Amino acid sequence: MPEKVVATMEENPPKVNKWDGNALKNALDDAVKDVLLSRFSYIESHKLLDGRLIISSVAVGFSVFALIWDLLYPFPQSRTVMCVCVISYFIMMGVLTWYTTYLECGIFCTALKKDAAGIDPDDVWNASSSLKRFDNKYHLRVTQKAGKTGKAKEARTVLTVENYFDETGKLLYGSVAKEVLRLHSDVEHKKN
Amino acid sequence: MLQLDFLDDLRRMNIRQLFYQVLNFAMIVSSALMIWKGLMVVTGSESPIVVVLSGSMEPAFHRGDLLFLTNYDHEPIRAGEIVVFKVEGRDIPIVHRVMKVHEKEDGTVKFLTKGDNNNVDDRGLYANGQAWLNRKDVVGRARGYVPFIGIVTIIMNDYPKFKYAVLAGLGIFVLIHRE
Repeated sequence: MPEKVVATMEENPPKVNKWDGNALKNALDDAVKDVLLSRFSYIESHKLLDGRLIISSVAVGFSVFALIWDLLYPFPQSRTVMCVCVISYFIMMGVLTWYTTYLECGIFCTALKKDAAGIDPDDVWNASSSLKRFDNKYHLRVTQKAGKTGKAKEARTVLTVENYFDETGKLLYGSVAKEVLRLHSDVEHKKN
Repeated sequence: MLQLDFLDDLRRMNIRQLFYQVLNFAMIVSSALMIWKGLMVVTGSESPIVVVLSGSMEPAFHRGDLLFLTNYDHEPIRAGEIVVFKVEGRDIPIVHRVMKVHEKEDGTVKFLTKGDNNNVDDRGLYANGQAWLNRKDVVGRARGYVPFIGIVTIIMNDYPKFKYAVLAGLGIFVLIHRE
């Protein structure tokens, strides 16, 4: 078995197809997340994604249950169960849509800054982004919610994607890192 | 190297994101399944949409027409209606017109069918010794149709390898394509 070499994203930035908007956004998101987690001693929190995983699992659970039940008790018998499963499934789909639009709002990374003394609640850093289809403007937003006061601060920027990839489609990690660090310090030094 | 680039997006994902990727695929399949089951509940038919596979009902229906069925218990079966029915020993349901109906006062019914384009009635198609169809043989009554669309299904069924190739291709695309 070949030895597994773990290269950091900085050493080995991803190469993407520059005409695939999704791939651009994913690469930028991953880079922003990598910067936030590697340059500061923050701990990633998976709560948001876990919530989405639970909602989706429950939805898929309903459909798997319906599938099995219908095999065991063919249709006219299984009518009530089918009805319940179908309605529950579509409710879960609605919940999922609501969750991603109103709770996640494009947040792809949540990082916690532990209180040095371990007494106050953690500071919560969120990074969210959006990139419209066929657009080259990557909107990045970094927010901080102070654990002690509960006050929220934020900073936004718009990155023009072509400046962050070279001609072969390799991500320019350094340039992204610079922007993220700038945003981070903007937020940190912002007065409420 | 092309292959590596193409999987790079996946390689950067953590275990949660990969799990969601699989769930996302499962949800696409589930949505289709649940729409189908939902239609079953609403129409009362175990197969609410069928594709006409033969020319036996021409000129009413042609090969490849898509039929919408309902199967409500309170709607009686009448001569002249087009029904889809199952026959023991045959996998594929048949779409034909009801010719004769015998109904008792307690609601039990037996009926005979025939394809508009066939010269003889369906007794030869029924199971050995079966002369009439019963209520339980009915999958549904035709309520509406869309011409030609079902030809895709027919092609898929005629070339199963093509069908599996298309399905596998779509499945792999969804699995490896990140959001």
